[in-house]
Amino acid sequence: MILSDILTFLGRLHPMIVHLPLGFLILAFLFRILSHTEKFQHLNQAVSLVLLAGTIAAILACVFGYLLSLTGEYDRTLLRNHKWMGITLALVSFVFYLLSSGRWITIPDRIFTISFTGLVLLMVYTGHHGGMLTHGREYINLKILTKNKRIKPASMDQVYLYEDVVQPIFEARCGQCHGGGKNKGGLSMESINDLLTGGKSGPALVSGHSLESELYKRITLSVSDEKFMPANGKPPLKSHEIDIIKWWIDHADGLENTKLTDIKGNDTIRNKVAIVLGMAPPQENKEEVFTAQKINPNIPQIFDSSAVENLRKKDWKVRIMMHQPAMLDLTKMASNASDIKDALADLKKLSGNIIWLNLAGDKLTEKDLAFLSDLGNLERLRLEGNPVSDELCNRLKDLNNLEVVNLNETKVSPIGLDLLKKSPSLKRIYSGDPAGK
Amino acid sequence: MSEHHDIPFRLNLPDFDSIHDKMDRRRFLTKTSFGLGTMALGSLLGNSCVQNSSKIITPSSGDLESDILKAIPHLAPKAKRVVYLFMSGGPSQIETFDYKPSLTNMMGQGLPDSVRNGQRLTGMSANQGILPVAPSIFKFNQHGGNKTWVSELLPHTASVVDDLCIVKSIYTEAINHDPAITFFQTGNQLPGRPSIGSWISYGLGSDNDNLPTFIVLVSKNAPQDQPLYARLWGNGFLPTKYQGVQFRSGKDPVLYLNNPDGYDGEDRKEMLEYLYKLNEQQNSAYSDPEMSARISQYEMAYRMQSSVPEVMDLSKEPRQIFELYGKDSKEPGTFAANCILARKLLEKDVKFVQLYHQGWDMHGGLPSAIKKQCKDTDQATAAFITDLKRRGLLEDTLVVWGGEFGRTVYSQGKLTATDYGRDHHPRCFTMWMAGAGVKAGFSYGETDDFSYNIIKDPVHVHDFQATLLHLMGIDHERLTYKFQGRRFRLTDVEGKVVKNILS
Repeated sequence: MILSDILTFLGRLHPMIVHLPLGFLILAFLFRILSHTEKFQHLNQAVSLVLLAGTIAAILACVFGYLLSLTGEYDRTLLRNHKWMGITLALVSFVFYLLSSGRWITIPDRIFTISFTGLVLLMVYTGHHGGMLTHGREYINLKILTKNKRIKPASMDQVYLYEDVVQPIFEARCGQCHGGGKNKGGLSMESINDLLTGGKSGPALVSGHSLESELYKRITLSVSDEKFMPANGKPPLKSHEIDIIKWWIDHADGLENTKLTDIKGNDTIRNKVAIVLGMAPPQENKEEVFTAQKINPNIPQIFDSSAVENLRKKDWKVRIMMHQPAMLDLTKMASNASDIKDALADLKKLSGNIIWLNLAGDKLTEKDLAFLSDLGNLERLRLEGNPVSDELCNRLKDLNNLEVVNLNETKVSPIGLDLLKKSPSLKRIYSGDPAGK
Repeated sequence: MSEHHDIPFRLNLPDFDSIHDKMDRRRFLTKTSFGLGTMALGSLLGNSCVQNSSKIITPSSGDLESDILKAIPHLAPKAKRVVYLFMSGGPSQIETFDYKPSLTNMMGQGLPDSVRNGQRLTGMSANQGILPVAPSIFKFNQHGGNKTWVSELLPHTASVVDDLCIVKSIYTEAINHDPAITFFQTGNQLPGRPSIGSWISYGLGSDNDNLPTFIVLVSKNAPQDQPLYARLWGNGFLPTKYQGVQFRSGKDPVLYLNNPDGYDGEDRKEMLEYLYKLNEQQNSAYSDPEMSARISQYEMAYRMQSSVPEVMDLSKEPRQIFELYGKDSKEPGTFAANCILARKLLEKDVKFVQLYHQGWDMHGGLPSAIKKQCKDTDQATAAFITDLKRRGLLEDTLVVWGGEFGRTVYSQGKLTATDYGRDHHPRCFTMWMAGAGVKAGFSYGETDDFSYNIIKDPVHVHDFQATLLHLMGIDHERLTYKFQGRRFRLTDVEGKVVKNILS
């Protein structure tokens, strides 16, 4: 395993090393051309040496390139061509070195220079293939100059299901690994033909049957499944995108050149298509709303863990209710004035994080509880049993997120409760004597 | 006399030779070869495995268990504590909450095959010539703001119906007591998995260091017809310290907490310290998890000597409380007394309290038996809800009431105008929840006219378990424990949170 990692690492140096033979061979060619002029005649002597350097560099590039090819993440045909051209180039360079060194056979100067041009052309073409492998077939392409970018359809009647909707989804979500010459798992997703041909797991698309189509299966697996696509933690497709792909396979038989409005029953999918094309605002997925609970956005994402440690040392129970945002539930029952005083510094550091607070007991007065005003995100407060009075209500009514407050068996009077009831966020107040003492 | 206790341990004392000997060749080889083997394996597999997974799970400490625990809570919890009133034996839904007035006209007629639909019956009624439809002989009345039908057997529960979230469409897979109750408590019909309380205790830890996180109380004033086993609150394969601790249903819930007269307990403390050192010694030699569990149990027991008498002391409860819970509540060990005890434990932030009340298995003589069962539990149950609500504890406490299955619409044995029995029925029955995070005054799910099949919103046992964990802030799919080579969870590979009952 470690060995293969080293090999992969070396392989990845190939795109860097290939520039050495490129440079050497061009330099040799340049010297050779220039040597035909009188002024630079002497350069001819250097051609042989530079060619030797180019040959060695080319062989090295071949070896590293072979290591890179072992990772198997490339278009096979392109790769094969590139490999053999590279090897040929290295051999031809060697032959040219022998020729130029004059130790083998001598050929006329002109013929040598002309055939040297052939070597350079071969090199350029090999390099171009290499470029296509890493950047995609279409990366350097004259068509780019003339290509019409597809214009976004203006109305639903003009929408071609595959060209305008499905292919852009593929390009955005899958293109990084299954497009532009990078065919992970042997699959390209650039055209419908590519999908029908498929990859290692067979055809990706079975016309008319989404449930048999590997493509649809992979995007609908559980995220934790190792076969799930997009792989490696890339964001999963949105549910409306998945629905569109399914509908396209089932109702449009996975074909191109079909207008959305030409297919029967398109009303079910129209809204979703509109979302993808930006014609309608994204719908909130019910599932997402459910998992994303209503959470006060002012709660900080992190909390001061040393403050929590300090409180725990002082016998406070600190319960983490949520990691992000960082919501805390603090409990210190039966505490007295000095307990609170001791903890004030730490409580202050956590003031935004304290969401639930339980100080039930029988010793605290409102003087001890002045710090409550800082707890802007507090939602639940238990103070039952403590001799707190109406003055506290003044303080509590300004806590904008306080929903539940327990004032059972305290000295708070109906006047104080009326004051509290003015708080818009407060939902329930407990102010009785549950034990009936 | 006990000076020698102060002498520190020295491993070269001959007394410890036996411990040294334990680290013999064989042990050395097993320990080290395993250790070296894992290291080698780790470096072989490590790269590929870690590389692939680390992209998804970041940042990994390399320890699966601690990663899982660190991620908890997965969502902000609504409930901080759970109290589960388990009605063991299978209470009849037809006599309690699932009102089926149309059955009266069909009394004595055979259960239509189209309803039974070939369902397997227990051996107790499978060979009956006729399965006669038996309507409830008890009347139902509407109660609360939503005019919920509740049986006359449960007048007190009916008075708090506005606080309950009644699920009429729960169903299970097992048809006999032991597998059914094991399924409910552990998520699997076969014994050996951790119970709900153990999972919660493992996942969320303790909110009170002086009391167990998971406490079990079994009523003594109930027919002990179907047995309960300690494995129902067992820890299964989780570390032993997460098992439920059962309190006795007598005068002393935990024995030997009080010192005998004339004894100050000083040398016991010394003995325990000495024992602790001894256990630590063993622990460092063997690293047996049972050893650390034992140490923590001893420590807990020691702390309980002061915490338990305080919490168990009902003498300070005012008269009104006993009146609220009913006259049984003065007698320790009854369901009513256990309810008061449960409330006191919840006040101390004990995370999971489970009450068991047996005797709901009514194959014959159901009318008189269920009358007694309801009388023993109804008032205390309602009082419990009321009491928690008044104290504000219902805000963050989830109360669950229910059995392991329901009972058949047909009579097992002879049906007369005043007497009948009902067999086990797993296909539909009623449970209720109340408190933190569930809708109050709400009914969910519907059964057909025979209370035989569910016609709307079925809730599987695993769905219920998933919902319970959800309310405690746990995603049931992410609380797992690796044992014997695979990861286990409470809901196995199923379970969906019942979103519609969440408030």
